[in-house]
Amino acid sequence: MRRHEIVISNSDEGQEPVNKIDRLIHEPSRYMLMAYLYVVEVADFLFLLRQTGMTWGNLSTHLSKLETAGYVVMEKEFLGKKPHTTIRLTEQGWNAFEEYRGNMKRVLDNLPSK
Amino acid sequence: MEEGISLKEIQRRVYMTFFQDGLWDIFLGLFILGWGLAILTDLAYLPGVTFIGLYFAIWGVKKRLIYPRIGYARFSMTSRRRITARFVILGLAVMLVGVMVAVLWGIGARPQWLADYFPLVFNGILAAVVCFIAYWARVNRFYVYAVLIFLGAVFHMWLGVRWEFGFIGAGGIILLIGLGVLVIFLRKYAKMVEEA
Repeated sequence: MRRHEIVISNSDEGQEPVNKIDRLIHEPSRYMLMAYLYVVEVADFLFLLRQTGMTWGNLSTHLSKLETAGYVVMEKEFLGKKPHTTIRLTEQGWNAFEEYRGNMKRVLDNLPSK
Repeated sequence: MEEGISLKEIQRRVYMTFFQDGLWDIFLGLFILGWGLAILTDLAYLPGVTFIGLYFAIWGVKKRLIYPRIGYARFSMTSRRRITARFVILGLAVMLVGVMVAVLWGIGARPQWLADYFPLVFNGILAAVVCFIAYWARVNRFYVYAVLIFLGAVFHMWLGVRWEFGFIGAGGIILLIGLGVLVIFLRKYAKMVEEA
């Protein structure tokens, strides 16, 4: 799937690292979700809810966006009669997050010191 | 929601979720209590049975009582290997010291200081293991538990308190603290069911 980044034109060359930042991950809530899933192999919906302090709706919306981008995969099952969703990063999501980290580091390193 | 959080901080938070329910405190408390009772009753197998029985009981309780409240997460294979390696190295180091002491004792070549201060050495090793857990998991109350365990030997050596009572006292206090942490946890986090 396509990465959510700005296509660099010739005139943007000086701002290349900034433009390469994945805006889907750059949103704080989604960054938080990606970071948690980067640290753990798999987490359930309730774990992410408790850790991030988001609401059910908010969490669900952000996870759907990440799932649409192919960054996470959600597996739904029933434990007895209760629904249970586990979430994990896909390889694409893992690579995108690694790239995001690298780009952010480059952007911050390029800032002139005071 | 808190923003600008680092990956290390997230990793620390995930580690801490394993200790915030007080179950590992209860485990440690009962294990230390088991040592005291083993010395008191001459039942050498008691600590081993307590350790294995409690270990499996803890995971059962986690599944029924804790995960429905705070959810479940599993570390990556690399992280799990790293954690396992740390505990294997720790276990081997403790075993090595134990074997060395047993051999010295067996061949009658034990140093006099070891014979004189054996309770201090034994409790000191146990306290060091608990300190390692406190440092690794960054759970500060485990440092207090290490001090309590070590104090058991100090009271025995210099105040004449029986060695086993030091274990029973320390284990009892750790158990009570663990139960307190568990009650606070259960009151703080209600069970939640995922919306369909």
